Amino acid sequence: MSKSSKSEIDEMGFGPFDIGPDGTETDLERAVWANLDEIPDPHIPLSLVEMAMIYDVTVEDSVANIDLSFPCMGCPAYEFIHDDIRGCLRTMSCIDDVEINVVWDPVWSKDMLDAEAREKLQESGIAL
Amino acid sequence: MTDDWNDDAIEYVQAIADTKLILSHRYSEWMLSGPALEDDIAGASAAQDEIGHVRQLFEKLSDSGRDPEWLQGDRDPEEFSNAACLDDTSDTWTEFVTVAGVTERAAWYLIDSIAHEDFDGLGQRIGQDEYFHLEHLDARLSHQAEENPEAVEEAFAAAAAAALALIGPATFDADTDPLVQSGFTDRSAADVREGFKRHYETLFEETDVDPSAVDWDAPDEASWNETRRRIGDGHVDPDVVDALGGVKNAEYARA
Repeated sequence: MSKSSKSEIDEMGFGPFDIGPDGTETDLERAVWANLDEIPDPHIPLSLVEMAMIYDVTVEDSVANIDLSFPCMGCPAYEFIHDDIRGCLRTMSCIDDVEINVVWDPVWSKDMLDAEAREKLQESGIAL
Repeated sequence: MTDDWNDDAIEYVQAIADTKLILSHRYSEWMLSGPALEDDIAGASAAQDEIGHVRQLFEKLSDSGRDPEWLQGDRDPEEFSNAACLDDTSDTWTEFVTVAGVTERAAWYLIDSIAHEDFDGLGQRIGQDEYFHLEHLDARLSHQAEENPEAVEEAFAAAAAAALALIGPATFDADTDPLVQSGFTDRSAADVREGFKRHYETLFEETDVDPSAVDWDAPDEASWNETRRRIGDGHVDPDVVDALGGVKNAEYARA
């Protein structure tokens, strides 16, 4: 079950980090977050949102702007994840284009994973 | 945003990126040939990390106006600004560990010196990878210095000369280094060189490797190529450029 299906988008927490939804999102932006939460990390049984790789979402003039980070700078699925995000969001009726900005500030950290994500990883045999 | 990088800054980051690009290729050459399985695993991991760093540095350079296809390898060998000690593949494991250790450290010091906001987070993340690379390489270099001091001393003298050229001439101090003057970096080439020298003097302290074999005053500013951050007009072999661009794979795919 994905993160957004278990809790309200504006209740998503990423600890002390200034990333993720902050409750000021439009309905369309909340829908984008929910769709991104359906995209699985190719290596780990969590969504990109659960992995705290999506730092921010804004939609202006039907263009979705996604701030995306990676746990590993040399991620072999780098382009694959880009394609997944574009493919997922372009199916939305109110989105005409997708701009992905890869960001590194703040640096991704395991501390960004919430308790639920940690539990899923442990259940999958992945140590933190 | 990278629209406020001046030409000096662009060439500085280009030299770091090209050094990492060729270094990743050299890692890949050795990742099945190390003396222990751990060396092969570490080499494969480092090659992947370095390519990841290059990808982000090329993004920044592209944002600053460099052509993405040119960056990716659609250029002549003499247009690469890698550290000169990476021009040729290493003949021995001792030489490889020395070259990789010295160039990784020099490139990391250059990144760590960047004060521009475009490197907030990016520099820190690269540093997380470099911590492990440098720990491993220093450990292997220390071991080689105990086992093969003469070979290390010879390889180190050559590699350090190339690394010092990558860092910049000793005459670039806080008052004269153009990158410090523009605010792009917060440490002059002279300061970085001093830290680099001190590190290896400490590393080799208990061994028979004599770091004084290195010409620590080189390169002479007058003969230093400020674009390619090296001395002379050497370059990687054209076959390396083809390999980086996947030319043979493309030919295979068309067949």
